[in-house]
Amino acid sequence: MKRRTPELRALPAESLGALDDRLHSASPLRKILNKVFPDHWSFLLGELALWAFIILLLTGTFLTFFFDPSMEEVRYNGSYTPLRGVSMSRAYETSLNISFDVRGGLVIRQMHHWAALLFMAAIIVHMLRVFFTGAFRKPRELNWIVGLLLFWVGFLEGFCGYSLPDDGLSGTGLRIASAIMLSIPVVGSWLTTAIFGGEFPGTEIIPRLYIVHVLLVPALLVALISVHLALMVLQKHTQWPGPGRTNDNVVGERAYPRYATKMAGFFMIVFAVVAIMGGLFQINPIWLFGPYKAAAVSSASQPDWYVLFLEGSTRLFPNWEIRVADHTVPAIFWPAVVLPGILTVLPMLYPFLEARFTKDRASHHLLQRPRDVPTRTGLGAMAVSFYVVLTLSGGNDVIADKFHISLNATTWAGRIGLIVVPPLAYYVAHRICLGLQQHDREVLAHGIETGVIRRLPDGRFIEVHQPLGPVDEHGHGQLEYTGWAVPKKMNRVGALGPAIKGFFFPIEKPPQAPVSPAPQLPAESERREVEARR
Amino acid sequence: MTSEHHARRTGWRSLRPWRGGQPRSRGRRRLGRAFRLVAALALAGGVYTVFAPGVSSAQPLSQDAQDGQALYAVNCASCHGPNAQGVTNRGPSLIGVGSAAVEFQVTTGRMPATRQEAQIEEKPPQLSDEQARKIGQYIQELGGGPQLPEGNDLAATGEDAIAQGGELFRINCASCHGNAGRGGALSSGKFAPSISGISQRQIYAAMLTGPQNMPVFGDNQLTPDQKREIIAYLENLKHDKDPGGWNIGRVGPVSEGLAIFLVGMVALVFTALWIAGKS
Amino acid sequence: MSTGTRPPGPVLREQVDRPEVDIDDPRLTRFDLVKEGARRDGVDIVQYEPRFPAPGTRAERRAERSIALLFLLAFLSAAAFFAIYIWWPWRYDPGSNLSKLYTPLLGLTLGLSLAPIGFGIIAYAKKLLPMEVAVEHRHVGGSPPADRKLTGALLASIADETAIQRRPLIKGALATSLLGIGVVATVPLIGGLIKNPHKMAGQPEGLGDVLMHTGFDPAYNNGKPVRLVHEDGTPIRPSDVSVGGQITVFPGIPDGATNKFADSPTLLIHLRTSDAETLRRNLAHVPINEGVMWGDYVAYSKICTHAGCPASLYEQQTNRLLCPCHQSQFQITDNARPIFGPATRRLPALPLDVDAEGFFIAKSDFKVPVGPGFWERP
Repeated sequence: MKRRTPELRALPAESLGALDDRLHSASPLRKILNKVFPDHWSFLLGELALWAFIILLLTGTFLTFFFDPSMEEVRYNGSYTPLRGVSMSRAYETSLNISFDVRGGLVIRQMHHWAALLFMAAIIVHMLRVFFTGAFRKPRELNWIVGLLLFWVGFLEGFCGYSLPDDGLSGTGLRIASAIMLSIPVVGSWLTTAIFGGEFPGTEIIPRLYIVHVLLVPALLVALISVHLALMVLQKHTQWPGPGRTNDNVVGERAYPRYATKMAGFFMIVFAVVAIMGGLFQINPIWLFGPYKAAAVSSASQPDWYVLFLEGSTRLFPNWEIRVADHTVPAIFWPAVVLPGILTVLPMLYPFLEARFTKDRASHHLLQRPRDVPTRTGLGAMAVSFYVVLTLSGGNDVIADKFHISLNATTWAGRIGLIVVPPLAYYVAHRICLGLQQHDREVLAHGIETGVIRRLPDGRFIEVHQPLGPVDEHGHGQLEYTGWAVPKKMNRVGALGPAIKGFFFPIEKPPQAPVSPAPQLPAESERREVEARR
Repeated sequence: MTSEHHARRTGWRSLRPWRGGQPRSRGRRRLGRAFRLVAALALAGGVYTVFAPGVSSAQPLSQDAQDGQALYAVNCASCHGPNAQGVTNRGPSLIGVGSAAVEFQVTTGRMPATRQEAQIEEKPPQLSDEQARKIGQYIQELGGGPQLPEGNDLAATGEDAIAQGGELFRINCASCHGNAGRGGALSSGKFAPSISGISQRQIYAAMLTGPQNMPVFGDNQLTPDQKREIIAYLENLKHDKDPGGWNIGRVGPVSEGLAIFLVGMVALVFTALWIAGKS
Repeated sequence: MSTGTRPPGPVLREQVDRPEVDIDDPRLTRFDLVKEGARRDGVDIVQYEPRFPAPGTRAERRAERSIALLFLLAFLSAAAFFAIYIWWPWRYDPGSNLSKLYTPLLGLTLGLSLAPIGFGIIAYAKKLLPMEVAVEHRHVGGSPPADRKLTGALLASIADETAIQRRPLIKGALATSLLGIGVVATVPLIGGLIKNPHKMAGQPEGLGDVLMHTGFDPAYNNGKPVRLVHEDGTPIRPSDVSVGGQITVFPGIPDGATNKFADSPTLLIHLRTSDAETLRRNLAHVPINEGVMWGDYVAYSKICTHAGCPASLYEQQTNRLLCPCHQSQFQITDNARPIFGPATRRLPALPLDVDAEGFFIAKSDFKVPVGPGFWERP
């Protein structure tokens, strides 16, 4: 180190200078490095989806080296002896080869599949975070729509990938997909023959799905993710209300040095979790399913979890086939074409509908606690319970088998549940929100329950309450609720919110540390939050 | 019968040109199979003429069958009648069900049943295998019916047998019992049980007799060799450890979806909590 | 680490409206420049303090040690991954449990070589990098009115200058040409994919309407009735199906048992006499089903009328057929009537007969299209 020559030491600066001469990049680069990220765990969920997507790209590229999307009929002669001599498509054969004849291929294949499940799971959980905190409100409606599109495009990508190995399960899935396409009025049969290149299954569908799976849809995903991130940078993050946080700032850490470092670590951990799951948990054992044969099927034939809700809706929908003048509208059209259509459009319109009903036209950059918006939280609970009932119904045969319930009873439970549970969920969530709100107000007015019981001179017992701030002549607190957590325990006082917090338990502050890291901001910005805590 | 039997076997082989180079051994096997078949037919026919209903009363029962009769009287007669003719609304007639059915029902603990149900479930057997065999002998001598081959090892050997068994399993069995043989739901509370924990004789007997709602796969439908191939596949399925780690129950995407939330998402959300935590 | 990166004081408090500093002032530390750069980007670094104000304390060394240990652990796992990848028996071997551990060990060692790096990096950021609170100012709402006005004027002028409202001739011509381009762009794509489902090429005469026919249509067999065959192509005698048994049968034509005829798989059932009686009585209720049985045998399409899965979970006592995909249930003894689940239509029956050689044949194709419904279904 010490021996470095001055020329060498100056090299980075020189080359950066040379770069800037050409790109004029000093100012934009600094701006990016100085971007501030708010610090809350729930902001990492979308990032989780992003990392899963990158793992998908990496592992998927590996798989393409060995996969051949051909439906040519071959006889298997690979390492997996229980299938030797069985006639199958080249696609299924090469999928088996990846699992058994490519060294380390199985772990990559399983990682790819787990990462896909994780990608969709992270998208859903991220979407719930955005919804329940009101982060979709103006000005972020557009990014909400992009996010919803990402879900549906990811859904399509996942289904294509699930279909590629041409095993018994994926063939059954394609068969159902073809029936869904067939059910579309007027154009159904034409659409199906166009996509399958003839009658189901034909010899075209796997090669076509392959190019959709490895080029078209990933390109679309990359484009949408870029837009999603660009809009996020442009509009800056939302943040939770709290000390020093207002509608016109972002409090957090700059990208460099801390935030970006943590993100790199998070990517490593996501990769590690996917690798460990890919190694320790067997997923989609296609060698047990056998090649796709139109005559063969297995009990408990299910799609991957994120498609399960459509499987459920298809199972629950009554057998209402419509006949109009020698034409048929099959029952499957409603739960498998119309319902997804509604589920695409309705959430996209939600931000606008909410703004219309609440007459709220302002821009919002501070998040709302779910309890403070009981109606939205109730509607969200309704949507979640609707989705959960459908998803469970998609696996109702497994539930019936494992818990020894009548299959027909689980179907009826799903049918009734789909109508009864969402309103119930709305009611319960709404009540819980109101209860929590009331408790917050109560603590602000009367202070924290200390657990200390005092006997008054007249013999009564009262519990001593610790007021959070100055009190009026009646002993009532004068603090207003500011949309952020109210301390409910004595050892949370002064350690509000995310200021100082342990992993599982709140930890006591070291005595020499500053009382609160809350920044001193100019008086003209909204300061009430900070004062309320003092 | 024999010629058609051969036709099916050759038809199977003819689809497999890549392993057609052993004419001598195949011919010998064919000869042996034909011989066995003739012998079996002769035996079955002989047994039938000897023990056919109506004739049987005149014939003395073998020692085993007499022991079986005694056991039958204690354990079975209350529902199936003193002479296995069945009792209305309690138990069906056992004439002609064969020893295979008795052995399956008794050794899996389904019989003696505790009560009438939509589906009588497996439970710890109340009678020993030996006792089951004796009752089976009694029923066999009483009314004839399908019988199991001798021995406890009914699996065909060889890799080809496993692969062919797999093909047969996927088209005939997997629809109810699932690709991994872990069972599945049927209509209105009935279910196809898991077949991963039962003996080879029981699997063979189930195919042969079609207990309860299971369809019958008689020897004319799945030849004894094909049954042995299916058993070989199932044995392989049972003993071959999963190459991709823990199989999470081998029930397919439902348990995988559960795993991604309970393991993957939980682990990563906790990581996120730690990353964003101040300490 | 040079002294310049370490911030001077324990707590820094700044205001955004601070006057611009002279960045050439020689008294400024490097951190002052960092702050000034951030300020010009609208970011206030309001707190920036080292985790360990006195360097080299025991706590700091402990943190350093544990982070270094994590990175070392990652290296060891990576080495283990490498060794397992190269030397562990990995080929599939039915008898060996060792080869079954290959994938789990790879995943585990890969995970354990990545996770400690991740934990190490994050621990480094959390424990050793300075604590920081930065405030970025955000502009709420749209652009300043002046910008809006200027840009609006520009856009309006663009629209106006290029507007073809005033030139109807060009407008019409342009629209026509765009239409032409659109047709040229879409027609080859769509046209290449379109296949008429009712006049499919490459089918025998009269069978172009592929959704209406299965492999049991005599036209596939030069007009002769098609035999029912096993998957391996061997024909089926009545004695091949036990009472209470069922088998999957295929049309006895070339490739009849392959996915080329994915609508053709059929379930041949040998009913028990009493059940066969019931069905025979019920056949009359469905006119097209009359005469489909042969003896106690009946054959129903295996392709579910709901979504096309093989409805093949046959319960021989209740004579129900269950589809495992969406749980539609069909009552065989009542002309395969759907009695539960989302299926609406009965499973079509295949008219059975036995030819002179004693093998099952289909008297004709199914009388109605098999499988899932579609718009043109008669």
